[in-house]
Amino acid sequence: MDDYDIKEPLEDRLQKIRLEEEHIKEQRRILQLQENSIKEERQELVSEQEMLDQVMEEFKKKELLLKDREKELSLRQGLLDKRSKQAQSFKDREDFRLIFEKSRDLHQAHYIDRPEVPSKDPNDFFAKNLLRSSLPIPTLGELQVVRHFSLLSERNFSVDSNFYPLGSCTMKYNPKINDELSDLSGFIDIHPLQCQQDVQGALQVIFNLEQLLCRITGLKRFSMQPSSGAQGELCGMLMIKKFHQISGKKKNTVIIPDSAHGTNPATAAMCGFKIQIVKSNSKGLVDLDYLNSLVSEDTAAMMLTNPNTLGLFEENITEIAEIIHKKGGFLYYDGANLNPLMGFTNPGLMGFDVAHFNLHKTFSTPHGCGGPGAGVIGVGEKLIDFLPVPLVGKKENIFYFDYSPCNSIGRLRSFYGNFSILVRAYAYILRLGERGLARAASNSVLNANYIKEKLKKTFDLPYDKTCMHEVVFSCSRQRERGASALDIAKRLIDYGIHPPTMYFPLIVKEALMIEPTETESKQTLDYFIKSLEKIDREIDQDLQNIKDSPHTSWVKRVDEVKAARFPDLRCKIIGD
Amino acid sequence: MPYILNTEKDVKEMLGCLGISSVEDLFSHIPSSLKLKEPLGIGPGLSELGLKRELKVLAEKNKTIDKFNSFLGAGCYDHYIPAGLKYLLSNSKFVTAYTPYQAECSQGILQAIYEYQSYICLLTGMEVSNASLLDGASAFAEAVLMSMRISKKSRVLVSASINPQYRKTLETYLSGLDCSVELIPFDKDGLIDLAFLSRSVDDGACCFALQSPNYFGLVEDAAESTRIIKKSSALSVMITNPLSLAIFKEPGLLGMDIVCGDGQPLGGGLRFGGPSFGFLASREAYLRQLPGRIVGRTVDKDNNPAFCLTLATREQHIKREKATSNICSNQSLNVIAATIYLAFMGEAGLKDAAGYSFSNAQYLYKRIKEVRGVNMPYGQGFFNEFIWEVKDPEAVLNKLYQKNIIAGHYIGNEFEEHKNCILSCCTEKKTKKDIDDLVNTLAEVLHG
Repeated sequence: MDDYDIKEPLEDRLQKIRLEEEHIKEQRRILQLQENSIKEERQELVSEQEMLDQVMEEFKKKELLLKDREKELSLRQGLLDKRSKQAQSFKDREDFRLIFEKSRDLHQAHYIDRPEVPSKDPNDFFAKNLLRSSLPIPTLGELQVVRHFSLLSERNFSVDSNFYPLGSCTMKYNPKINDELSDLSGFIDIHPLQCQQDVQGALQVIFNLEQLLCRITGLKRFSMQPSSGAQGELCGMLMIKKFHQISGKKKNTVIIPDSAHGTNPATAAMCGFKIQIVKSNSKGLVDLDYLNSLVSEDTAAMMLTNPNTLGLFEENITEIAEIIHKKGGFLYYDGANLNPLMGFTNPGLMGFDVAHFNLHKTFSTPHGCGGPGAGVIGVGEKLIDFLPVPLVGKKENIFYFDYSPCNSIGRLRSFYGNFSILVRAYAYILRLGERGLARAASNSVLNANYIKEKLKKTFDLPYDKTCMHEVVFSCSRQRERGASALDIAKRLIDYGIHPPTMYFPLIVKEALMIEPTETESKQTLDYFIKSLEKIDREIDQDLQNIKDSPHTSWVKRVDEVKAARFPDLRCKIIGD
Repeated sequence: MPYILNTEKDVKEMLGCLGISSVEDLFSHIPSSLKLKEPLGIGPGLSELGLKRELKVLAEKNKTIDKFNSFLGAGCYDHYIPAGLKYLLSNSKFVTAYTPYQAECSQGILQAIYEYQSYICLLTGMEVSNASLLDGASAFAEAVLMSMRISKKSRVLVSASINPQYRKTLETYLSGLDCSVELIPFDKDGLIDLAFLSRSVDDGACCFALQSPNYFGLVEDAAESTRIIKKSSALSVMITNPLSLAIFKEPGLLGMDIVCGDGQPLGGGLRFGGPSFGFLASREAYLRQLPGRIVGRTVDKDNNPAFCLTLATREQHIKREKATSNICSNQSLNVIAATIYLAFMGEAGLKDAAGYSFSNAQYLYKRIKEVRGVNMPYGQGFFNEFIWEVKDPEAVLNKLYQKNIIAGHYIGNEFEEHKNCILSCCTEKKTKKDIDDLVNTLAEVLHG
């Protein structure tokens, strides 16, 4: 502040001082404001700092996670490399070779003795042009053979080692006791042409199995001859054909749903029938109006499986039976899907006239890499006379071959069927008994519905209703994102799971048909569900990894196109 | 309850997830008119021990073949099976796998079947083989159906000396189709009447099918029959015993187009007649008409050797009513057994099994011919079985049976011409003593 001028009047000086005071006040106020604003700014900076810290922390976390993943990935890559190298080194060794490439210059293994009778030379009995000049089959040591087939077995998935939810195939556990019993000397060391009194036990197995199957299925008589489902179908449809021929009716058409197993139309064609396809309605069931428009006096039969191949129960089965029967046609039951019905309902009640049953599905006999199975055929009253012969009858406690069916279609094969399979199925039914069979059925349905419920968020479920023993999803959403049903199936192999049936039934796009069976645990189902959910996420994370799968199997994805285009169907190293 | 893994807690959780309270609710959409009102009436389940007891009783009611001195054959032969086969075949990674649809996790099965196809081609001299059919008789029916597809003709000529069960099976398989089966008779030597065949075959025939060795065990002059057939457009089909091919000319080199038969002699065991397997092989030209599964060798993504099912466009699951056959499941495990059998036996072992059977059968023929009252309808051109004639054969068989000898299979019900004939077979398992016992006891039975 300036010096006061003493000469100034007091008033003026006072006025000046007041003004100055106000000025100072104003300055003070401004300072205060500035101070406040700085405080605020500081506050903001602090909170910004806090935010930054948070972000930083998250960033660090993410970085750590990424490092973990990187580590995991490189570990996996390393494992894969190691495996691939291992595989390569295996492939370099004899383990990968065909049996024909392992032949050694050995003396014979001496499994059998030279007979004491005079040795005869075929050359003395036959013209030279009827005798073989060389037999170039390989000679191996016993250990070589044992090792060869042991190694081969390790390159398979099987029910005993993997979850095997192959739809329509009922890959349930195959109880070991059944194998042991069917291998008893009394069941395997008997010749089919021995006299009946010496094979009473075998005949009794067949007779008893027939009685049990009649009760389970509601049908009247069975022939055990058909050795597969397809042969059972052929048997049933030939019986229908003959029935119509004998009654003098010209009936040439067989109706088959669009969701049917491929064997149905193929069988009908083998019997010389024309085929009409009945469409499924929006619920996945036989369209009754459509069916009504197809049936005519020419309708010989309809072939149907129930539950159908979508795993859905044909609720209108009684109406369907009426429609077919009214025209004098037969209703044929493809018994591939009997498993969920045991003890709850049966084909007899549903109005079926004839049916085959795959003992290797419902009745637990092992699938043996694709056979042997049994496709036994059962009939209601009307067709008993047409069954293949011989059947097995019982009179005064003696079992005998029964040739009584006077209109029998003949026979489907030599002898009496796949007897060893019949023993296993018989043992299975006895072991489970009444309640065990029903429990097997209900658990198969529970397991399938559990999978349906859990996975329907992830995969399209074309028919969202209670299913029976199997459920069919569509991978169309996954397909849009780049992974087909085939890709997903192949990726499952890396998770140790056998892929479900793919691309069937034909009416569902990108179908995955899943049949868990009753013998799998919730734990296994949960693992399966999680694996499929994981694969679904992988589509967005690493699609190529799925496309390149499987990674962990003995071979990588197999070139099936090449196989078909350039058929290599036998080893040509020797003999050519 | 056996074989169910879900605990009560699991079931509860799963039901909860489904929003229902009992498993019965899962069946609520089945109309009540279709629901069983009464129990099945098959009784409670058995313990494993109880089951074993029950089945053992039945097994022991059968009198096994080793309790007899048996000469039964007629399509099912009692050959020796190396011990290792049963051991390898009980491997549950073969037993409990299914059809190798997913190649990547089925390489073991696929390679074994590929090796089987290779063995069959080697034995038969054919170019392609399928992965098996259900048994020999149905394989024969499929072979004839195949020739009908190839030739687009429907007149089937069949030798009358084939196994009657095969003939019956063929008739049944063809019964729904518009076609005819004509029998070509056999001559006084038990062999195809070639002159009759020559008169019968024309361009209207789809095939001529013969069996060699035929049902009487005799080896046909198949070279001559194919020469006759080749004058027409018909195909030559042959049923054969695969073990006999260790001695006899490859059917492919005899001019056959399709070869089939039952694989039981290759380590199959008796098993009351099943399961065995049917094999079917043909010329490569007919590959697209071959029914059943076929395995091919190809490569994987890394160009390593790999196997897969192939040419599926012939099959029912792709082609439906236009498929070559309806067959789906086959007899893979039996095929793997045959492959293992052939691997164990090797060239020398297989030749021995066939050759020893042949020598034994020839010895039996020579000895039984010497028995007074026995007549030999045909000569010695057979493999491992032959027919002999005796007055009142059923009574003779019965008397021999009383002495624990099953002398063979009576064929009088199958062949009008052979009312008094018995078909007897020898495998390598027969000893000289077995054969001498039969002959000596027969002489006793006939002449006291």
